Amino acid sequence: MTDATAPAPPARALSLARIEGALPWIALGLVGLLLPLLDDSYIGVIAQRAYIYWILSAGLNLVVGYAGQIAIGWVSMLTLGAYTTAALTAGTATPAWHPYLALVAGGAVGALAGVVVGLPALRLRTFYFAMTTLGFATIVTQVALAWKDVTGGGVGTPGPVFPWPFDPGWGFYYFCFILAALATWMTANLAASRFGRALVAIRDAEVAAEASGVAKPRLLIAVFLFAGALGGVAGGLFASLQSYITPDAFTFEMSVLFFIAILIGGRGSILGPALGTIVLTVLPEFAAPLVQWSTFLYAALLLLIVLIIPGGIADLLDYKNRRPLERHREIVPQPELLARVLDRRTGGEVLSLSDVELSFGGVRAIAGLDLEIRPGEVHGLIGPNGSGKTTTLNVISGYYAPEAGQVRLGDAVLPPRAPHLRADYRIARTFQTPRLIGGASVLDNVMIGGTIDGEGSFAESLLTLPRHRRDEKRLREAAMLALAVVGLDQLAAVRADRLQHSELRFMEIARALMLRPACLMLDEPAAGLSADEIRRLGALIVAISREGTAVLLVEHHADLIFDICDRVTVLNLGKVLAAGTPAEIRSHREVVSAYLGA
Amino acid sequence: MSITRRKVLAGSAVGAASLASGLAAPAIAANEPIKIGYLPALTGPSSSTGIGINRGTVLAVDEINAAGGIDGRKIELIVRDTQSDPTKAVNAVAELTQRQKVAIIFGPLNSGEALAATPLIARDKVPMLHPCWVDELIDVKKYPMAFRIAPTNTQVGGGANYYVVDVLKLKKVAVISDTTGYGTASVNTYVPMLKAKGAEVVYTNHVDAANPDLKPELLRMQSAGAQAIMPWSVNAGFLSRILNTRGAMGWDVPVVGQTTLGSGQTKALLDKPENWNKVYSNNFRQVCFAGGKLPARAEEFVDRLKKAKVEMGDTLLWWIALGWDGAKMMGETLKAAGPKADDIVAHWNKTKDWPGVYGTVTWTPEQHNGFPDTEVVMCEVNSLKDGAFNLAPGYAV
Amino acid sequence: MFASIVSYGLAVGAVYALIGITYNVMFSASRVFSFTAGMLGMLGGVLGALFIGKLGLPAIVGLVLVLACGAVLGLVTELVTVRPVLKSIEQHLYVLSTLAFALMVQQFVAVEWGTEAQPFPRLIAIGPGWLDQQFWLPMLACAVTIVGLELLYRKTLIGRAFLAIAEDSYAARALGLPETQLRMASFALAGVIGTLAGFTGAEMLLAFFGNQSILNFYGFVPVALGGMGSNRGAVVGGLALGLFQQAANFLVGGIFAAVAVFAVFIIVLLLRPEGLAGGSAARRV
Repeated sequence: MTDATAPAPPARALSLARIEGALPWIALGLVGLLLPLLDDSYIGVIAQRAYIYWILSAGLNLVVGYAGQIAIGWVSMLTLGAYTTAALTAGTATPAWHPYLALVAGGAVGALAGVVVGLPALRLRTFYFAMTTLGFATIVTQVALAWKDVTGGGVGTPGPVFPWPFDPGWGFYYFCFILAALATWMTANLAASRFGRALVAIRDAEVAAEASGVAKPRLLIAVFLFAGALGGVAGGLFASLQSYITPDAFTFEMSVLFFIAILIGGRGSILGPALGTIVLTVLPEFAAPLVQWSTFLYAALLLLIVLIIPGGIADLLDYKNRRPLERHREIVPQPELLARVLDRRTGGEVLSLSDVELSFGGVRAIAGLDLEIRPGEVHGLIGPNGSGKTTTLNVISGYYAPEAGQVRLGDAVLPPRAPHLRADYRIARTFQTPRLIGGASVLDNVMIGGTIDGEGSFAESLLTLPRHRRDEKRLREAAMLALAVVGLDQLAAVRADRLQHSELRFMEIARALMLRPACLMLDEPAAGLSADEIRRLGALIVAISREGTAVLLVEHHADLIFDICDRVTVLNLGKVLAAGTPAEIRSHREVVSAYLGA
Repeated sequence: MSITRRKVLAGSAVGAASLASGLAAPAIAANEPIKIGYLPALTGPSSSTGIGINRGTVLAVDEINAAGGIDGRKIELIVRDTQSDPTKAVNAVAELTQRQKVAIIFGPLNSGEALAATPLIARDKVPMLHPCWVDELIDVKKYPMAFRIAPTNTQVGGGANYYVVDVLKLKKVAVISDTTGYGTASVNTYVPMLKAKGAEVVYTNHVDAANPDLKPELLRMQSAGAQAIMPWSVNAGFLSRILNTRGAMGWDVPVVGQTTLGSGQTKALLDKPENWNKVYSNNFRQVCFAGGKLPARAEEFVDRLKKAKVEMGDTLLWWIALGWDGAKMMGETLKAAGPKADDIVAHWNKTKDWPGVYGTVTWTPEQHNGFPDTEVVMCEVNSLKDGAFNLAPGYAV
Repeated sequence: MFASIVSYGLAVGAVYALIGITYNVMFSASRVFSFTAGMLGMLGGVLGALFIGKLGLPAIVGLVLVLACGAVLGLVTELVTVRPVLKSIEQHLYVLSTLAFALMVQQFVAVEWGTEAQPFPRLIAIGPGWLDQQFWLPMLACAVTIVGLELLYRKTLIGRAFLAIAEDSYAARALGLPETQLRMASFALAGVIGTLAGFTGAEMLLAFFGNQSILNFYGFVPVALGGMGSNRGAVVGGLALGLFQQAANFLVGGIFAAVAVFAVFIIVLLLRPEGLAGGSAARRV
């Protein structure tokens, strides 16, 4: 075995990227810190408003930009936070609270509301969810109007006044500044953690995210909770800035403003939406005659962004990904590195299907299927189109529940309809059409595969505590190794949607390798590859199986199947037509007539 | 590429800073204009009143300036349209007090904006003249520099209550409002006042102004035995629906309430002109026709408006008068006392029976609500002529 | 009282049902839920008040003009906000482009027409009372639309082509159906239905820019409850919603009625995300 040292992540390129990323923030931070020197309270008020809106938008950014949830009526968080803080400080519902405690309570109420709003997101389609957020915002305003004793009803209620050192004036300015900086830091941390990547994976490649073990409900709820908390805190600060809140201050236009700021800024970016929020807060102050057209202009801007630059400002500023790539790239896998990726196992477990049946409506997709995939072997699954190959994979993956029969790994029955649990069993797969996150780097895409190996919690990621940092380091190294194995390590920092089709197929394999799979299922990985690439793919697959992994290979390329498979099963009309060694299958009369041809 | 971005960001920070400092503190030289801040809502949902008031304010300022201004210094009216949005009002306050360094602020008119602006203006120690009626805005201890040149909601409701109970001599009353700040505050204040006068409030409710069908509400009023309906809302659609439903039911009771009952917009939304009969709305003695004539000051004012070709057909006389009085008051104060805050406040504290077109204003150090109770009256809305109305029947003239 | 709730509830419910049908027609043609349904309803009232009230045109002429404007707007919607975005795989972009366009139109109306609700002229001199034409006009429009759509879908070639595109656009294209033209026609039809809803409902709802948000939401509830793509579900859902809303308005007042509607909406959706009559989701793997 050649001693191939694992490649380090392209250190210089990545660290430059991180510093590049920090420079705008340093500039913004300096401007914010030094602004009071101008001694202009008007600018101070506008700046405070921008900070407050950003605190809310930073959270909403995670929901809309990262998780891809169209939460249009988010002003409800601001309303709830504002009224909670104001009512508690004024003592209309309970004995008066200290303002800082009231602010924390505002954040807590926002968090709760975030969960309430977020729960429908788990079950509803995009548009339906958008409508529920709008309905929720209306309800909150109505309740504020109706609950006169606590909220003052239509007359409103005074906002909280924070005591020294954050009293009204520059003290409060710095309070907003610090909280805005904190919000930025935490959301950026989350975005760069396995949770952030998992969020984007749910948004863009939900199926692949599930296969990698990402539990959508828990993650989404956590994000909505956090975003709601930020919105609630922003609300408390807002109430203080306004000095008096009435229900008519929380308009639909505000919801639109927050939402548009994030989309203008670009999804999957923190800086973009921050700049978007600042611009949209400051702009009306300059364009006085146009001020009644402001929402019209925002909407027009949104339309332009959607039609022309869907990626927003962040896309425009993404110079890194405009550098041309090398034209004639070759994928050169390094199977010899596999030993460091996979734990060599002896006596691994057999993946078996017994008597599995599945129908879709009147069509019997799988009619009584027995299959055994043994560790250390490459098992090919072939058959004509519609014979049930991909359906079989999907049953094993857990996307479909069989109507009869079981799927087992060793002795354990795999729970049906729970695709995100397969990762715990170390069952990994690739897909017929590559599932990728186009806007993320190849490295990030591969790191998704290792999501379940992280130990740090959501909260630890928010604050970049040591366990989170260890996780990230480990995941990065493992991903680079996996990329080296499949031969794509030179493209680690490149945006995934710039890759060629064949490179994407190998990238999926790298992602699957992150699970150190006991069982690897490949769904037509050779489709679209050149002859050379197919050869290298074959060698790679064999090498993976020799490390003890059970490999199931669904393919149409008969040559590849007969070259590398140890066993082959032929499906036809959902049933096993023939099973055996490649030589046996090749000469099997029925297989030849049904599928292979003379 | 990163250098370019950094340079751009740093450059714009420097640019913004220099722009800001350049505008920060204009020197007040001898013939620099005196700045007055003005916060109307000229656009947005609740803008019709603001537009009317604006005509009077602008006219007065133009006249003062045409006559030589304040000892040779012109008045500069710095207008910031709040768009009926409290957040814009707060931003505008900061600009007016800090950057423009205005001597007095007039407005805002709408309650949500006024409630937010008042503490902030007080914090910045700028004298403030209120055209808004919300009671909470005036507090000599909390806001020592805020004075009101219009009636309070309590006075307005009191005037209506007086008419129903003491002039029309009715006992059972139905009180209804929309769900806005103004509406709910009004009902909460007026119902106890009615009861204190010995009236029986047989129905009270807040209804969403967008509700298209008010029949259930009026039927409830009718079955409770109401002898008068008192609506409190500035929403013409809401008020017109009440009147139309009353007409459709053929229910002949007087409607006594908010000024907007008499506005052109309400009229346009009526199903038939008869629905405007027996409807009485708040108005102000100084601008009402009594025995076919306007009081002298109002008469003179209307001539002035006609000469200046100010549009009156789509608004109300008292709105224009209110705006006029506000600007006039500020102009005269600046002339008499100068632009310093403490001098202005001291001058205002001594105001007695100031003859405004809209009302006769009196202030004392303990009472910053300047409008007299006796001048809040009801008028007949279907007598609209040149933006003014007849005094309602039954008043001792 | 009861008669008032029933006549009002059914009438406004018919308007909601028609907006729901508008959503459905756009959805069937493109798999896109468009935010412009409420916009069309709002414009039906505003344009009607403009043509008949302000410009003084006779009612029939005004109606025809309004429907024509609706068709044009439907075409513009398809061209500007749907077609360019269909090529993208990302579903959420549809929502945003139609939202942006609808907002632009709403704000334009708010600035140019005004933010106060303007009166809508009385169309026919029947009523007042619970047989007032402002109540049965929307119901008539709803009935005409339903019957018309049924005839269209079942008896005419173009109607069956619409159904084919809705069922399986790949197969339809493979058969040579001109998908783009059919989609444009669908959106134009949706524009007509939406503005018809707004026009017939405007005597109750007035010509008001704020109707857009109201109709967007309350017109969507029948679709959500009745199942997307199901016009019958939309009608049942709309009428039920109208009655429920009026009854709630009367019993507990405006604010709690809105909360009640929203609560029912959420609960039904969470229990049956595809609606009470809708189909199941397609295969995603």
